[in-house]
Amino acid sequence: MFGWIKRAKQLKANGILGMNDRNYSVISKYNKRSLYTLVDDKVKTKQLANNINISTPKMVGIIEHQYEVKNLLEIVKDYKTFVIKPAHGSGGKGVLVIKDYDGEKFYSASGEELSFKDMYQHVSNILSGLFSLGGRYDVALIEETVNFSDVFKDFSYHGIPDVRVIVYKGYPAMVMMRLATKESDGKANLHQGGVGVGLDVKTGATLRAVLHNKPVTIHPDTGANLMDLKVPYWREHLLIGALAYDMTGLGYLGADIVLDKNRGPMMLEINARPGLAIQIANGRGLKTPLKEIDESYPTGLSAEERVDYVLNK
Amino acid sequence: MKLARFFTVRKVLSFLLFLSIAYAVYCIHYKVKYWGFSLSPKQVTDVWRIEAKISFKPIGKKVEVAFAVPGEKEGFSILSEEIVADGYEVLQDKKENKIILKGKNKKGRQNLYYRLNVYENTKNTQINKQIPPKMDRPLLPEEEQQQMSKIWKLAKEKEGDRAQQVIAVVNQELANPSMSLVLPLKHTKKEFAEKVIQILAYKRVPSRIVRAIKLLEGKKTEKPDIMLEAYIDKEWKLYDLETGKIGLPEKWIVFQRGGVSLLDVRGGEKSQVMFSVMKSVATPMKMAGYRAKDNNYLSEYTYSIYTLPLLEQNTLKWLMIFPLAILIVVILRNVIGITTMGTFTPMLLSMSLVKTGFLPGLVCFSIMIFLGLIMRAVVAKLNLLLVPRISFVVIFVILLIQVLTVIGYRIDSRLVGSAIFFPIIITAWIIERASITWEEEGARNTIQEIFNTLLTAIIVYFVISNEYVRHVMFAFNELNVVILFMVMLLGTYTGYRLTEITRFASLAQKD
Repeated sequence: MFGWIKRAKQLKANGILGMNDRNYSVISKYNKRSLYTLVDDKVKTKQLANNINISTPKMVGIIEHQYEVKNLLEIVKDYKTFVIKPAHGSGGKGVLVIKDYDGEKFYSASGEELSFKDMYQHVSNILSGLFSLGGRYDVALIEETVNFSDVFKDFSYHGIPDVRVIVYKGYPAMVMMRLATKESDGKANLHQGGVGVGLDVKTGATLRAVLHNKPVTIHPDTGANLMDLKVPYWREHLLIGALAYDMTGLGYLGADIVLDKNRGPMMLEINARPGLAIQIANGRGLKTPLKEIDESYPTGLSAEERVDYVLNK
Repeated sequence: MKLARFFTVRKVLSFLLFLSIAYAVYCIHYKVKYWGFSLSPKQVTDVWRIEAKISFKPIGKKVEVAFAVPGEKEGFSILSEEIVADGYEVLQDKKENKIILKGKNKKGRQNLYYRLNVYENTKNTQINKQIPPKMDRPLLPEEEQQQMSKIWKLAKEKEGDRAQQVIAVVNQELANPSMSLVLPLKHTKKEFAEKVIQILAYKRVPSRIVRAIKLLEGKKTEKPDIMLEAYIDKEWKLYDLETGKIGLPEKWIVFQRGGVSLLDVRGGEKSQVMFSVMKSVATPMKMAGYRAKDNNYLSEYTYSIYTLPLLEQNTLKWLMIFPLAILIVVILRNVIGITTMGTFTPMLLSMSLVKTGFLPGLVCFSIMIFLGLIMRAVVAKLNLLLVPRISFVVIFVILLIQVLTVIGYRIDSRLVGSAIFFPIIITAWIIERASITWEEEGARNTIQEIFNTLLTAIIVYFVISNEYVRHVMFAFNELNVVILFMVMLLGTYTGYRLTEITRFASLAQKD
């Protein structure tokens, strides 16, 4: 009993943000409910992002109604590869990456072979709301695939590595990178067995890495030394996060960013309720940077100025 | 700015919580004191029924019967009073605590009944301070005077007040020659009492006979018990004639005071009274109305839920338990940090468990979830669309309930038959969610989540099925207001959840 109280006190001293505190003191205070629709719908988010020059994977088309599903081949005819995802999905649910296809067979990134009927079924499922929050009717979004930068080739097993930037009042507060493992089955969620790498906000270099809440130094499948990880185009990564604030008005958000070989960092999605696992990956609490931003960071700066403020601090 | 700091949400809610607690405490006090509610559901109130059968043979044209009855405020409260006397004119003399029955031209043996329902309400006992008229020392012949002084000489050696001394003397010194003249060895209790009164009168202490009945289940008696009341130290005190103890013993009810006879029949002969006593029990809630009336709180009682028809009361009793269940769910989720399937799903499950019984319900529910998950896994291969797929699960659950209920009835097993009490939609959703979680997060997370849901349901079950908790939440329903503010205050709780202390354990060490 006393052990627990003692530990809770230590957590508090280390500035660890708890779920209740996050919901009460941060989200309900700085994230207006009406703004959620901006980030819940990926089509809308993409349009907003494009308006203020945040690069995102290019949209190939959208399928809104059941009768349009048969036009799938027509929509993707100019693209060799593409991604289908639900506009209201979360956590990578219902995302299908097609690497190659002919008229009949489609080959997914995870090595599956799908018939057109399977594709048809998948899009129908998206439209019926299978992957969306609360089972609402949804829209299928078709995007260009991201050409993942080779920089991270050794650091991720199959899946897509992405950078999660927590942005508080427009300032990047904490960053981590999520790497897929064999166990996580191509997904990069930490509770499913992905590796979380805490990154230094100022440099983009590894601070520490965790797997199942325990510190690791090498990737369990590829054997790459995680301490060598350093994300290039760091300023651009942070800028996307800072711009996401301007774009949505969300005081507390998580921007998921991937690095494209040709186009540089691109924003995948924005989360209005980013989780707290990032603290474990970084080995420190969120409260400390949030408090610092509250107390000493200047207000009224542009996105670029804010990023520079963080980088030069 | 300072004002804003003073009126933070948390402070305002804390203040309201404090107010609601004060209100609840006041209401509990008030309900216990004036309505007789008890904190325990098992407590009962004894209700006594005393019947006096008056019989006599009329001899004249006119008959007048005067019968002494208990007055109010004698340690008992009167629930109801009934006089069965066909063809008699009934008059009540409240001042003298008598009923007077007048009849004309009555023939044959007459049987009249007086029935009284009373219950103990000890708070009503009052001290009798009525001042008796000043007494003169009675004029006695020389011989008797000498005896009296002898008796008093003996009495002074006894313990207690003067009445007790006299009672002790008369009791213990019967064999003493000076006493035997006063009171024969064989005597009635009435004679005994009269003698004591006479001795007390010598010292100018006013005293009188009291007729009372001891309440004993199934008691039948022709004669009420006799006690003595003496005016000592400026108040009337009641004495037991055998032990000299002061005060009315428990479960005694006074019928009449003073020397006048209990029953007085004019125009009749061979009159007699037969008392019989019966006991029944009632819950304090049933008696609350009478108690409220006695204490002049009837209007408050009339607008409480306890005057509603029983059906409504039972529904409310069932509802009253839920705020507490909700509080538990809130604590489990926001303070402990248990994640369950759906916020109030565990609560609905525990409601079903109350109806099915704990073990049968739990086993039956597990069977349903297990079969449902297998069926859902089979159907998953068909790639049905969302709404039809959930509909399939719902219909499957309905069919399953049918089959289980029939089987349960045929093999006479409560275990299987309790399927019918589970909410269909909730069960179907648990199956659907479990199967999706299974696909997306793996078996371990699914089992963990089902386990958490069941654990929460079990905890809630043990609270809402507890007889004491249900009684208290219903009898003292103001507690629900307290719970309301507790839940709201918990809405501002920003501390760690218990599970987070484990989750972030690696961050607890100093760098």
